Amino acid sequence: MTSGPADPDDELVRRAGQGDAAAVQALVARKLRRVLALAERMLGDPSEAEDVAQETFFRVWRNAARWRPGVARFDTWLHRVTLNLCYDRLRRRRERPVAEPPETPDPGPAPDRGLLAADVGVRVRAALQALPPRQREAIVLCHYQELGNIEAADVMGVSVEALESLLSRGRRALKSALADLAGPD
Amino acid sequence: MSEERFLTLAAAYGADLARWPAGERAAAQAFVAANPQIVEACLTAERLLDAALERYGARDATSLLRTRIIAAAPRERATGARWRWLTGAGLGLGLAASCAAGVAAGYTLGHPAVARLMEPPAADAGQLGAVGDPGGDAAAS
Repeated sequence: MTSGPADPDDELVRRAGQGDAAAVQALVARKLRRVLALAERMLGDPSEAEDVAQETFFRVWRNAARWRPGVARFDTWLHRVTLNLCYDRLRRRRERPVAEPPETPDPGPAPDRGLLAADVGVRVRAALQALPPRQREAIVLCHYQELGNIEAADVMGVSVEALESLLSRGRRALKSALADLAGPD
Repeated sequence: MSEERFLTLAAAYGADLARWPAGERAAAQAFVAANPQIVEACLTAERLLDAALERYGARDATSLLRTRIIAAAPRERATGARWRWLTGAGLGLGLAASCAAGVAAGYTLGHPAVARLMEPPAADAGQLGAVGDPGGDAAAS
């Protein structure tokens, strides 16, 4: 059992599990963007991220009627489900022979123009994808999903110290890859 | 907070103290106030990385994805609702029928002819004959 404040999602999940259309809409409005962002930053592929988001919600619908408040926070469970689906896809990528290399943007700055915001986003995406998955996961959970350190460590199944180590190594690698943006390490 | 711990936290969580572990923020603030030069040197690179990370924004879900997800959500089962309605209607009809039967029975039993029929059987054969014969009443009198 978890202690602390009541889970703000419990009631919505319970009602969604009973087929309450308004609760279903509200849960999707509250969580879909978050799930999609997590999957996209883990996979670096918008199309695969959509598939993962859809499958995540299918699992939510299958389990909502049996959701037991107080056992786990719904948001934590949702992150775990999404990440498991992402890791399934990353595993399949490794096992699948690559016919042609995936499209990866040139990590260097454009030679003839200043970096636009979109260019920076593309370079950050490439740098994130180049990280080992656990370092990427730690950064995505803490920086982008804004989970607290205890919750992020819980989602990842590691200690807070291990989480901090993954974060430090990940950020160091990002600073190196984006040195022209982030300045000297 | 020691300098070593401050540097460890900055390397892990970045320049924004709001992202640091809640239990260490106050000590970190105190360290910042007491050591501005160390802090500035340490946090500049982290701040630049944080700013770069923010440029990788999240997309909104397409309406098609949203529609597919909502279409797969659980619904109140129509058959269940119909059964519930039928059960309720059946119960209501049953109660109404019982009431009607009760009223009819009350009315019928209250009728003098029936009341007489309901009287305890008479000991003599003549009264029994009167009971068995609808015209016996007049014959007996």
